[in-house]
Amino acid sequence: MSKLEYRDIKQPNYRHIGKYTPRKDARDIVTGKAIFLDDFSVPHMLYGKTKRSPYPHAKILSIDTSKAEALPGVRAVVTHKNMPEKWGLGLPVHRLLMEDKVYFVGDVVALVAADTEEIATEALDLIDVEYEQLEAVFSAEDALKEGAVEIYPRFKGNHVDNGIKYFQPDGPWWQIIRGDVKKGFEEAAYVAEDKVAFDKMPSPLAPETPCCIAKYEGGNEYTIWASSQSAHILKLMGEGRIPHSTLNVKTFNVGGSYGNKQSLMTTVLSASMLSLVTKRPVKIVLTKEEQLMSYEVRLGSTITAKIGMDKEGYVRAVEGDWLVDTGAVADSVQGQVGVGLGEAQLVCAKCPNWYMDSHIAVTNKQPAGIVRGYGGQELNSCLERLMCTVMKEGNFNPLDVFKKNYIAPGDRFIWRDGRWWQSRSSLFFPEAMQNAADRFGWSEKWKGWNVPTSVNGTKARGIGMGVIGNADISEDNTEAIVRIVPDLVGNPRASTAVIECDITESGMGTRSNACKIVAEVLNVPVEKVSITDPGTKFNPSNYGLCGSRGTITTGKAVSLAALDAKRQALELGARHFRRSVDQMETKDFMVFVRDTPELCIPMFKLAPKELSIVGYGKHMEMFNIPSCMALFVEVEVDLETGRTSIVKVAGGTDVGQIIDSKAIEMQLHGGFGSASIDTAIFEECILDPGTGRLLTSNLIDYKWRPFNEFPPYDAYVMESQIDSFMFKALGIGEISGAAGASAVLMAISNAIGVDVKDYPATPAVILRALGKA
Amino acid sequence: MKKQYVTLTVNGREYRFSIGDGFGQVPPSETLSETLRKRLSLTGTKESCNEGACGCCTVLMDGKGVTSCMLLTIECDGREIVTIEGLEDSETGLDPLQQAFIDEYAFQCGYCTPGIIMAAKALLLENPHPTPDEIKEALSGNYCRCISHYTVMRAINRVAGNGEDHTAVLHRANDDVKDPIPVREELFLSPYAYGTSSDRTLD
Repeated sequence: MSKLEYRDIKQPNYRHIGKYTPRKDARDIVTGKAIFLDDFSVPHMLYGKTKRSPYPHAKILSIDTSKAEALPGVRAVVTHKNMPEKWGLGLPVHRLLMEDKVYFVGDVVALVAADTEEIATEALDLIDVEYEQLEAVFSAEDALKEGAVEIYPRFKGNHVDNGIKYFQPDGPWWQIIRGDVKKGFEEAAYVAEDKVAFDKMPSPLAPETPCCIAKYEGGNEYTIWASSQSAHILKLMGEGRIPHSTLNVKTFNVGGSYGNKQSLMTTVLSASMLSLVTKRPVKIVLTKEEQLMSYEVRLGSTITAKIGMDKEGYVRAVEGDWLVDTGAVADSVQGQVGVGLGEAQLVCAKCPNWYMDSHIAVTNKQPAGIVRGYGGQELNSCLERLMCTVMKEGNFNPLDVFKKNYIAPGDRFIWRDGRWWQSRSSLFFPEAMQNAADRFGWSEKWKGWNVPTSVNGTKARGIGMGVIGNADISEDNTEAIVRIVPDLVGNPRASTAVIECDITESGMGTRSNACKIVAEVLNVPVEKVSITDPGTKFNPSNYGLCGSRGTITTGKAVSLAALDAKRQALELGARHFRRSVDQMETKDFMVFVRDTPELCIPMFKLAPKELSIVGYGKHMEMFNIPSCMALFVEVEVDLETGRTSIVKVAGGTDVGQIIDSKAIEMQLHGGFGSASIDTAIFEECILDPGTGRLLTSNLIDYKWRPFNEFPPYDAYVMESQIDSFMFKALGIGEISGAAGASAVLMAISNAIGVDVKDYPATPAVILRALGKA
Repeated sequence: MKKQYVTLTVNGREYRFSIGDGFGQVPPSETLSETLRKRLSLTGTKESCNEGACGCCTVLMDGKGVTSCMLLTIECDGREIVTIEGLEDSETGLDPLQQAFIDEYAFQCGYCTPGIIMAAKALLLENPHPTPDEIKEALSGNYCRCISHYTVMRAINRVAGNGEDHTAVLHRANDDVKDPIPVREELFLSPYAYGTSSDRTLD
């Protein structure tokens, strides 16, 4: 059988899919009318503020709130002493919202609700707290050492539970143990061992800070309005934390999240508690400083590993240990470790021998949480640096190695649920890598390991690449209803379709894409399709937009729901014209006989009077369609100052089918944001080791890439019609920049001729590597 | 004598606020962004960092771009303010910049978009035909984390008359395939386009 060639794939010619359709909320966004949480308020609302710990680890000896309570306008001051409920934090729960101890700088000491934000802020300063400082620990390595100070009784030796039932239904899974590593290393022609740390825990830093309004409704019910990208996840986590509660979660447009604003647990519990006490709605909006100092950042990740590669460049054995720093709160970290280990197997898919262990530690740093890349990026940033060491040993061209080792249909791997899966994704990932590399000019620019592409005076250029994949893109279940709503007064032009599905818009355009998909199935204009407001109570369930799952999961649920409704309409038409349903076709809410189109009837005449035609569709979780993203970067390093700039970027991927031609491009560009590519050059959270306080707690000190520093970006996208759902597409945003950091370090090492393994490679790091500092 | 009132013109309408710490008065510590958002419900102007670093709160003051979180309202007496809500003309519709942002899909989450549009508007008022480098420089104080920078540049370059911006390129592999095999094309050839039912007149 001959190999399937890309040109042999039938490319569908859709009415809407693959083209650019302006988003439904586009006009609202450019005119300032789009509503974000802070633009919204509830009558009789109070404002909440948080008194935060100045110490990384301390015991609260006393708290005096009397002066704060006496301030006019203050409605409640809640501390660990007068908390009405003992709500817990973490997964597994390992601490309370407030305790007589604080575990990181920025931890919750007291909550204030007041008539205005100003009064609440003023009241914070009137709370007198006496602390006894305790020994603090700032790295996973130190935390796991024998004799280290134990932060929580729940975690013996600061070691967080390996795996939890929620992520691994068959039992905890935290190690890749496959084959025989000893034999694997014997077969290997090249073996390299190294240690790489990606541990500066950078911040994804959405422009809109985390915020919510909580309203206690009596009984055990709460209404939560939140800047969450997933109302469902907030409900799921919140109801677990507030025992026996029912949360009605509503969301608005979200001002950036990057996976980082989902459960918002501390903020939501704080507002809920203040609302429970005051019996009034309470709004909490974090300041930028609070977001940077106390909100969730990327996991800290350190890998010590040995990799064996055969003489053809296939990885034969991986043995190592992955140390994960989750900061002071362990929340969902086991899922991230599972995904990280899964993604390692996608990149080294031909490797039969593994012994990869992992350890998760709590420390006295701000909590690490979910961020675009979800464990995989943090692992990849280390693992691909290690792969470089062995590739260099064998003097391989990394492009060849990545192409060879990447997962192909039929290859098997263990995903984060601890189960085996077999890829049925694209055949064309190596081709996508190669074609992107060709456009980038890889073969002309690649001069060998630690050899610059060019040197011009003090400016040396080098190139690097990275590859990553993710099988989470069809995770978790989703359901949707599509209703064809005939016009009540009988005007077929006014018929519409309504999607009922809980989708929050946080920038990816998924709400509009769902409308587009339904419009394609029903063969109607996109303007005629609308979608219900996001929220958990009155919508069918959707897990939310995480792990790039939206394209496949909501895509599949809404397309099947639309198909169900369409089938019913065609059946009604077939009965009406006494034809077979296979002969029926529909367009623009008309049903007609395909071969005799004069036989045509508007849907409103077919549907029962006053009623709509209702279809249902769902997606069930699977992990067998990994995505793939290859990134190529060219950097220029000033050998005198150590400053690095990126001069060119290229990306290569196969997304199966483009849903929206402009949205896909921005999903790829997003790899520059949310603490990805630039974590290799300048993005980091800098901790003062003396005080445990963050030194980068504002938008000046925390570095980000401005408009005038974006290099040319050349994206190469294949559409091989992957068997994912009706429209053969998959999600890519989760990983679009995830391999960027390791690619940049490879490029810097090549430019300066010395291996650089420190994230980020600041001028100081580079000058040290060059022996100049 | 202490000033008792501050007068602002916002989006063409004049507002007179009483200064003081009493209920409903504008305290001297109130920033322009607070006045716009809380008193006038002009919530298109966003307060993201509140320290003048992100540009999300950019508005026009007498035609110049300013970060409204860094100005006290009492300092703005007699000034003319235009916010994102005031950019659309009731007769001619959207500002060309706003239209270009839709056409080029120059936003993702849209949170920083009003600030970026107002910063770009300020530049274009000063210089209707800035070069691409001048545009980038003018926007270097605007934070965007979804990374819509490339499409924003396309949109503004278009309004500035700079021709197409090719800093970022999307290359679809299908464009390289000679004589692709199309499917389903025939499905949409029904002569019965929208609203032309055979058995009744619709109009």
